[in-house]
Amino acid sequence: MTEVKNAKQISDVVWEIPPSYKAGMNVPARIYATKKLIEEMDSGVFEQVTNVAMLPGIVKYSYAMADAHWGYGFPIGGVAAFDLEKGVISPGGIGFDINCGMRLVRTNLRLSEVKPKIKELVDLLFRLVPTGVGVKGTVRMNQSQFEDVMRWGVKWCAENDYGWEDDVSKVEEGGFIKGADPSKVSQQASSRGISQLGTLGSGNHYCEVQVVDPARFFDAKMGKQFGLVHDDQVVVMVHCGSRGFGHQVASDYLRVFDSAMKRYSITVRDRELACAPFSSNEGADYYGAMVCAANMAFANRQVIVHRIREAFKQVFRKDPEALDMHIIYDVCHNIAKVERHKVEGGSRDVLVHRKGATRSFGPGHPDIPPAYRALGQPVIIGGSMETGSYLLLGTEKAMEETFGSTAHGSGRTMSRTAAKKQVSGRDLQQRMEKNGIYVKAATWEGLAEEAGMAYKDISEVVETMHQAGISLKVAALRPIGNIKG
Amino acid sequence: MATKGRRHSDYRFLSNIALADIAFVARGDSLQSLFESAARALTEVMVDRRTVVGRVTRRIDVRSPTVDRLLYDFLTELIVVKDVDSLLFKDFKVSIAPGRGERRLACEMRGEEIDRDRHALRNDVKAVTMHMFGVKKAGGKAGRWEATVVLDI
Repeated sequence: MTEVKNAKQISDVVWEIPPSYKAGMNVPARIYATKKLIEEMDSGVFEQVTNVAMLPGIVKYSYAMADAHWGYGFPIGGVAAFDLEKGVISPGGIGFDINCGMRLVRTNLRLSEVKPKIKELVDLLFRLVPTGVGVKGTVRMNQSQFEDVMRWGVKWCAENDYGWEDDVSKVEEGGFIKGADPSKVSQQASSRGISQLGTLGSGNHYCEVQVVDPARFFDAKMGKQFGLVHDDQVVVMVHCGSRGFGHQVASDYLRVFDSAMKRYSITVRDRELACAPFSSNEGADYYGAMVCAANMAFANRQVIVHRIREAFKQVFRKDPEALDMHIIYDVCHNIAKVERHKVEGGSRDVLVHRKGATRSFGPGHPDIPPAYRALGQPVIIGGSMETGSYLLLGTEKAMEETFGSTAHGSGRTMSRTAAKKQVSGRDLQQRMEKNGIYVKAATWEGLAEEAGMAYKDISEVVETMHQAGISLKVAALRPIGNIKG
Repeated sequence: MATKGRRHSDYRFLSNIALADIAFVARGDSLQSLFESAARALTEVMVDRRTVVGRVTRRIDVRSPTVDRLLYDFLTELIVVKDVDSLLFKDFKVSIAPGRGERRLACEMRGEEIDRDRHALRNDVKAVTMHMFGVKKAGGKAGRWEATVVLDI
C-alpha cells in the first residue's frame, strides 16, 4: 500500500490518515487527491485535517477535498460533520466569510456577440458593483429592514425589486436558511454590514464573464437541463460572501468560544478551532447569528446579480428577461448546516461544516430545486481568474462518502506575499488581455496576488472529484472578462 | 500617552503561512510600541500608508481580560472603523494601563476617509484570526515584545 505523508492510499484518489497518527484523533482523516496533488499539498493540510479529527463528536471522518490548502483552524477544502448532541460547532470550521459562495447566471448570448463589447461591459460592471477596501453599496436600509435581510435573504430581495420570483428557488436552501436570530447579532456586526449589501469585497472575490468552453463541454445533454444550449454560450459567475457583517459575527463568537471552551472542558490544538457544544447556549446563539450572516450573503450575491442584469441591459439594449438571465444555481462554500445523512447504518441529522467545500447532493434529494431534482444538484467550482471554472453535478456517491460535499475551487499553492513578488499586477493584466481576458481590478497588488500561478491546476482538482464520483463534470467555463476587488 | 520605550517598533510579513491569507510578525520595545507596530502592519495590508494624510483624529478605547485578547480586540476595532466609518489611519499612539482583572487600551490615531482616487488601496481585511495568534516577550533584548497575527483576506 502506497503511503504519502503518513496517508495510506485507499483508491487512486482517496487517502486516509488513521487515528494512530496523532494522540486524540477521534476519527480517521480522509483526503481526496491524486498522487500528484497529495504530494504537492502543503504540510498545513495534514496538520489541520488531523486537528479537526480531534474535535468532540466528529462523525465518520475529517475530510480534505482535492483543493485543500493550509487555512486557519480547519484546512480550506475541509468538511466535518458533528453529532447534534455530543458534537460542536466551530466558527473556524465555517470561516470568517460566512456563506462565501458562488453563483452562476446564464445568458442566451454567444461569444461572438459579447466579445466586441467586453471592455464596455466589464467597465460598466466595475462601476455598478462596488469593489475593494471599505466599499459601501447602494442599498439604503434601516436596522429593521436589515434584520429582514438576515431572516429572509434572497426572498427579501425578490420582494423588494432586487430580483425575480424564480431566483429564490435557484439558490441553495431556497435563498434563506431557517433559524436566523437577529437578537444574537452584535450592534457592531450590524453596523459593519448594513451599508455593504451588493458589494464584492476584495481578496479572491470576483464577478466574471465566462463562456462555455466548446472543447470541454463534457455533458451537453446535462448542460441543456441548466439552460446551456450552445457550446460558446456566455454566463456570469459571482464569488463573494457576507462582507463585514459575517466577518464580525465570526469574530464576536470566536471570542465567546475562546472563553467558553474551559467551561465545557474542551481543548483544541489551534485557538482558531475554538468551539462549543452545538447543544449549548453559546452554540445555539452562534448558529442563530451565523444563519443571519449566511442569509445576508445570499442577499448580497442577489443584489450583485441585479446590478449585473442592469449592466447587460445597458450594453446589449435588451431586457434581462429577453437575454434569459436566469440563475443556474447558487452554492455556499463556507457554512455549517443541519442535514440528514446516512450514519452507521441509519439516517440522522448531523451538523455539517463546509469550509471551502461545496454541497454536492445527488439526484432525488428533496433539498434540490424541483427543476433539477431528478438530475442532481448543480455544483459551481470557481477557479483562478486566468484558468477558468467548472459546472459540475452532485452525486449519490457524495451522499454515501462525504456528507454530500465536494471541492470549491482550485486551491492556493502560493501565499499572497509570495505571489506578488513573482508578478506585477500591470504585467498580469497585459498577459491576460493577450489571452483574451479583460480584467479590471480595484488594485494592482490585489490583482497580482490572484495570478493563476498561485493556484493548483483546477482541472486536476475537478478530475479528482469526478474520478472519485463525488461530483461529475458538466462544463468548463473559460473567463473572458473579470472584475475583482 | 505612553512614549517611553517607543525607540524601536517594526513588523514583517511572512510568506507561506495560511496561503489565502496574510501573516505578519510585529515587534516592539514595549507593549505599546508592539501594538502600534501591529496596527501599522494591519493598515499596510489595506493601504500604502504613505498615501494617507492625517487630517482626521480618532480615539478608540478597548478593555480586555488579557494582553493577547487586547491586541485581538484592538486590531478588530480598527477593521470595524474601516468598514463603519470608512476611515484608514496613518499613525497610532497607544497607551495601555492595567485595570482590575483587565487591560485598558487607548489609541489616538490620525488618518482620513477612504479616497479611491488618492489612496493606494490594497486588500480589504476580513478579520483577525486566532490561528498562530499570540503575544509574547521575545528572547534576547530585555523588554522586547513580539506578536504573530494571521489576517483573513
